[in-house]
Amino acid sequence: MKPILKGLLWTAIALGGGGALAAIAFERGEPLNAVWFVVAAVCTYLVAYRFYSAFLAARIFALDDSRATPAERLEDGRDYVATNKWVVLGHHFAAIAGPGPLVGPTLAAQFGYLPGTLWLIAGAALGGCVQDFTILFCSIRRDGKSLGQIAREEVSKRGGMIALVAVLAIMVILLAVIALVVVKALRESPWGTFTLAMTIPIAVLMGIYLRYLRPGRVLEATFGGVVLVALAVVAGQWVSLSPGWSRAFTLSAPALAIAIIAYGYAASTLPVWLLLAPRDYLSAFIKVGAILALATGVLFVRPTLQMPALTRFVDGSGPVFAGKIFPFCFITIACGAVSGFHALIASGTTPKMIRREGHARLVGYGSMLMESFVGVMAMIAACALQPGVYFAINSPAGIVGKTAGEAARTIGSWGFALDPQAMTLLAQRVGEHTLLDRTGGAPSLAVGMAQIFSGTIGGERLLGIWYHFAIMFEALFILTVLDAGTRVGRFMVQDLAGHVWKPLGQRGSTPGILATSGLMVGAWGYFLWQGVQDPLGGINSLWPLFGIANQLLAAVALVVATTILLKMGHARRIWVTLVPMVWLVIVTMTASYQKIFDPSPRLGFLAQARVLAGQISSGAIPAAQVATTQRLIFNNRLDAVVTGVLAAMVVVLAVEAILGWIVILRGGESAALHEAPYVATRWAEGD
Amino acid sequence: MNVFDTIARGWQPLGIRARRAWSWLRQVSGDAAYENYLRCARREALSGVAGDAAPALLSPAEFYLDALRRRYSSVSRCC
Repeated sequence: MKPILKGLLWTAIALGGGGALAAIAFERGEPLNAVWFVVAAVCTYLVAYRFYSAFLAARIFALDDSRATPAERLEDGRDYVATNKWVVLGHHFAAIAGPGPLVGPTLAAQFGYLPGTLWLIAGAALGGCVQDFTILFCSIRRDGKSLGQIAREEVSKRGGMIALVAVLAIMVILLAVIALVVVKALRESPWGTFTLAMTIPIAVLMGIYLRYLRPGRVLEATFGGVVLVALAVVAGQWVSLSPGWSRAFTLSAPALAIAIIAYGYAASTLPVWLLLAPRDYLSAFIKVGAILALATGVLFVRPTLQMPALTRFVDGSGPVFAGKIFPFCFITIACGAVSGFHALIASGTTPKMIRREGHARLVGYGSMLMESFVGVMAMIAACALQPGVYFAINSPAGIVGKTAGEAARTIGSWGFALDPQAMTLLAQRVGEHTLLDRTGGAPSLAVGMAQIFSGTIGGERLLGIWYHFAIMFEALFILTVLDAGTRVGRFMVQDLAGHVWKPLGQRGSTPGILATSGLMVGAWGYFLWQGVQDPLGGINSLWPLFGIANQLLAAVALVVATTILLKMGHARRIWVTLVPMVWLVIVTMTASYQKIFDPSPRLGFLAQARVLAGQISSGAIPAAQVATTQRLIFNNRLDAVVTGVLAAMVVVLAVEAILGWIVILRGGESAALHEAPYVATRWAEGD
Repeated sequence: MNVFDTIARGWQPLGIRARRAWSWLRQVSGDAAYENYLRCARREALSGVAGDAAPALLSPAEFYLDALRRRYSSVSRCC
């Protein structure tokens, strides 16, 4: 294409994106169509990828296709396998796309569609993509080393230790909060519980097929599994209509929590091939398929957003979670904009598969843009609901009341209309007893997705099937993260415990496996149980804690990236990683301070503990509930300590990094890079 | 050129695209992992890198179990 035509095309894309963003930001009164969001996101992504990622690739990293990557130098056909860039893109995207970009934007929709959407798009282009791309590049230049190893070598031993502890902390809190999302979605829902329960025998059948009948034939087994899961979703409706079966699969929140804790323990101790791996195949395919279907559905249905651009809850009084728009919008939406967890994938399997250094741009920067787009889709699905319905589903009963009438009165007092009969009818149409008090984001996202899907195929008749398909899809891949996370967490605990008593550190030792699995499951199970018992719903406390931990890890990754760029001699262009890092440190520190010390009992952990302690001493709590209340006080104090420890790690790391940067800028010894030496590629250009 | 040739020529790129898509899917899903392993082992044997110390080839079942063990020993799924 001629340069002038190219220039005109990119000008048109930039103007299109700018115009759509302006429409989203400034349109008031008339409801907005979702197409504006898609245009704004896609045009911004195209411009960011074409210009900003090219700038990073050429001017900052100087990606060199003549340099042999670890996949070429260390190729072993197992870990190090040079792979086509589109295959690596698919592999990397499937690994980073989890429940976060779906649940986070759904919860942040309580502020209105504007802040979350802007943060998803801008945060990804300027922060999340930069972090993923930089860490992937750094790992490629260091034989595919992990973030912890790179931090130890390039920053300090303490930096490496902070990365390790941050990963473990995130694991525990993440697993607890996503398990809580499943509990909230499946509570008193026989259809959903039956469907999810059926995925266990289906996965076991797939595991036996893959292990004994056709080893490694993943596509055949997954195709069979997907068909069986689809049948299970349909059969779930019959189960919910049969009084006996319905009773068997109707579980309370505590019963579900116990079942999930037991499941997590079993899945992490059983052989990988039997349950974990086949579920992972199943969930990866259904996840990518559902995300593509959602994007297609949004374009086909073009729903109108019902939520206002900004709600009154920007002041921190929101019922879904407490806290003002700053910093909590940026803590709640982690994975769709910036996610520290991605740095673990970008310094894990992916760098060992990259055939050419130049491919890191598509894989690192490009796949994070795709993840951000998933977040925008989730925001559209949540904001396409009537705001009254959204708040009725996502608010705990402790705030809006237990019946549709009470909820309608409370939500009406906030300025959002809710028809109690319509709410009951909606629950019936999706095959649930009630949709009230379904906190956690998953059910409201499922209702939004079901409305979009049924607008594409099947109409109102299939609303229940689509709702339960969406619930199954969310719960399935959440449980897969739970299985895989518990297992990896167990290995980390074993590595740490091995220093205390050697037998615990042996990965093949059965007592070691059982004990360390118990420790890991016990840790996240404790927080899950705490969330189930919390009168405010649990998500209010745990999701911000997860956001803080995740953004802490992002800050760790960006500190490592900034240090490496300084060592590479990019002091003048250090802003590319320094600005997102400073932003994340400010956000994380502010959120941590408010979660610990805010005087409002809905927001501050210590304030909540004080209020409960005051109620006990004044005799306001009946004797039968004193023990439960004391547990709540302990839980709040524990959450405050955990938040404080996470914040302290950010401070230590930031101070350590700044001292290190001063030494680097003065040209001290620590300015040496620890890259693998240059080796020219043996492969021809087209390979 | 008759009409059937025209149709056949029109379909050819579609066939190629479908084959590419299938190959991509097999690679992404891990369905082709054992074939990649065999290809790499054959290349190494031809180049004589490993010499007499070349390890015995794994069977499909052994390779599958080994791949799972390695994949689930580190963070492989994100939040």
